[in-house]
Amino acid sequence: MTHRINRRTRLSFLGDYLGLLGVLALLVVLCSLTTQHFFSLITFRTIANQIPDAVIIASGMTLVLIIAGIDLSVGSLLALSAAVLGVAMVNWQQPLVVALLLALATGLGAGLLNGLVIVRWRLPSFIVTLGMLEAARGAAYLATDSKTQYIGSQIEAVAEANILGLGLPFAVALVTVLALQVLLTQTLFGRHLFALGGNEESARLSGVRVERVRVAVFTLAGGLSGLAAIIHCARLGAADPNAGIGYELNAIAAVVIGGTSLMGGRGSVVRTLLGVLIIAVLESGLAQAGAGEPTKRLVTGGVIVAAVIMDYYRNRERL
Amino acid sequence: MLSRFITLAVASLMLVICACERATAPPTEGEGAVSVAPEVAGKPRIALIMKSLANEFFLTMENGARAHQQAHADQYELIAQGIKDETDVSRQIQLVEQMMAQGVNALVIAPADSKALVSVLKRAQDAGIVVINIDNKLDEGVLAERGLKIPFVGPDNRKGARQVAEYLVQQLKPGDPVAIVEGAPNAYNAMQRKLGFEEALTAAGMKIVSSQTANWEMAQANQVVSGMITEHPELKAVLCANDSMALGAVAALRAAGKLGEVKVVGFDNISAVQDLLKQGEIIATADQHADQLAVFGIKFALDILAGKQAPADKETPVDLVRKP
Repeated sequence: MTHRINRRTRLSFLGDYLGLLGVLALLVVLCSLTTQHFFSLITFRTIANQIPDAVIIASGMTLVLIIAGIDLSVGSLLALSAAVLGVAMVNWQQPLVVALLLALATGLGAGLLNGLVIVRWRLPSFIVTLGMLEAARGAAYLATDSKTQYIGSQIEAVAEANILGLGLPFAVALVTVLALQVLLTQTLFGRHLFALGGNEESARLSGVRVERVRVAVFTLAGGLSGLAAIIHCARLGAADPNAGIGYELNAIAAVVIGGTSLMGGRGSVVRTLLGVLIIAVLESGLAQAGAGEPTKRLVTGGVIVAAVIMDYYRNRERL
Repeated sequence: MLSRFITLAVASLMLVICACERATAPPTEGEGAVSVAPEVAGKPRIALIMKSLANEFFLTMENGARAHQQAHADQYELIAQGIKDETDVSRQIQLVEQMMAQGVNALVIAPADSKALVSVLKRAQDAGIVVINIDNKLDEGVLAERGLKIPFVGPDNRKGARQVAEYLVQQLKPGDPVAIVEGAPNAYNAMQRKLGFEEALTAAGMKIVSSQTANWEMAQANQVVSGMITEHPELKAVLCANDSMALGAVAALRAAGKLGEVKVVGFDNISAVQDLLKQGEIIATADQHADQLAVFGIKFALDILAGKQAPADKETPVDLVRKP
């Protein structure tokens, strides 16, 4: 019985990606037809330049949603990590490496705190990370004195570095996605995540150390926000305490478009990457078509819901 | 267990809030820092109500006002408050009501919304409080409809933007394609700056090929400008309605290898753009003297209270800042 299900899952594996890839291809065609300069290397390079931080944050969010949690603090943690990075370089005159490590440590630390509070008092992650969303934003304002810290060429070198023709940030994002996908599908830890998201009690009974897994996932999500902060700062050459507002919702949108269930127990990081790409192509196309802000938001909102509706029908067919 | 923890947390939060508030003030969720100078009878009490203190601009404004109050502590008391984010209109209305309850003599306010605040400010004025409008001008139409006169003390954003754009066009040829990155669409300042840019650009015969909002934000401007230079590869200049967006624009140009080819101007003269101005990556911005904006309003309120001046609009300076 299990054997047959496995085989069917494997067969539909490619189909899984094909659906999303189809939507993506359709969007690219639509945008190319409606705007003059969309279908060009520059556009795709621009998109590749814009999305790495979003990809990294959404990857972390995928793990959190798989264990049926939610992390609303990722945008604020990005701002806080960026603030630490900026202050370390501008005010404390620290070398780049030290500043980068401090930014990562900030994200990891805050994520760890999220996880520990959630587990210690058995609180819903929604509430705890909502608190962190506020607190980390406040801390970011405090650290920077509410001022944008201009860092300049030192940090921009990170964005300009190349690996095999790919920008370093984009390469880092791809490696993150692949590493997390391997973690999810090929390791015991990954199986524990799905077990915990599917049914916490039975996971606990079958020997999964639920608390540890949960703390690890929130710590990882925090650390990935720190990594995203570094890439965000590198792209802009500056650390802005108002950075990342609303990123948590964009990440959730991308993850859900990628078919990860908000109820937990199901999801894939590669599909999340496709989700981020779909939103990025859409936004880029609309901006180039000169669409106004209201149109952009209407269309983006519509596409998010439409993508999830499509996913619903595809899942029903499979059952 | 859980509910007991929450009760405890709420109770301790209330305690902290009560400790911060003055006994006369009704208890509220205290997100804005409340500071009250020591009370001395006879000195006028002035309330400064601002928008988001998370914004560098308003923080500079508040710090300027505090410094002025400390230097003139014998002349007035200052109560400075801000809201959590710039769009929290109802919270700002609540703050005005609290200040009325505290019996302040004057109210200097940067309204979060140019229409929604009018009605509560009318009540304040009716209660005999001197009301001064700074930063974001209240809507003329609504003021006229309520038969209300509230003096506006502040810079002419349209004129400032025009100055910046006039400086920029000297370095361009007539017919050159240019683009505007606008501020938040519902902000009066954003509209004024856009109009100022447009006036100078059309007068000099430039072609405005794109005008989009990035909601005052650096990351959004980065995205918008990336799209603009792809769709209009021949672009010669980008005019940004504030400096944060100019920073985002510069980053987009750098990524596209078009730095220097496309000229960038901003507005506000924030500390983060100083290096870029020196390097010529941003060629000009406008300084509306943020640290003095609230002070101008406070001084004017003191003059009116002392009967030295009659309430009327008062323009404060905006200066063009170029590469040093």
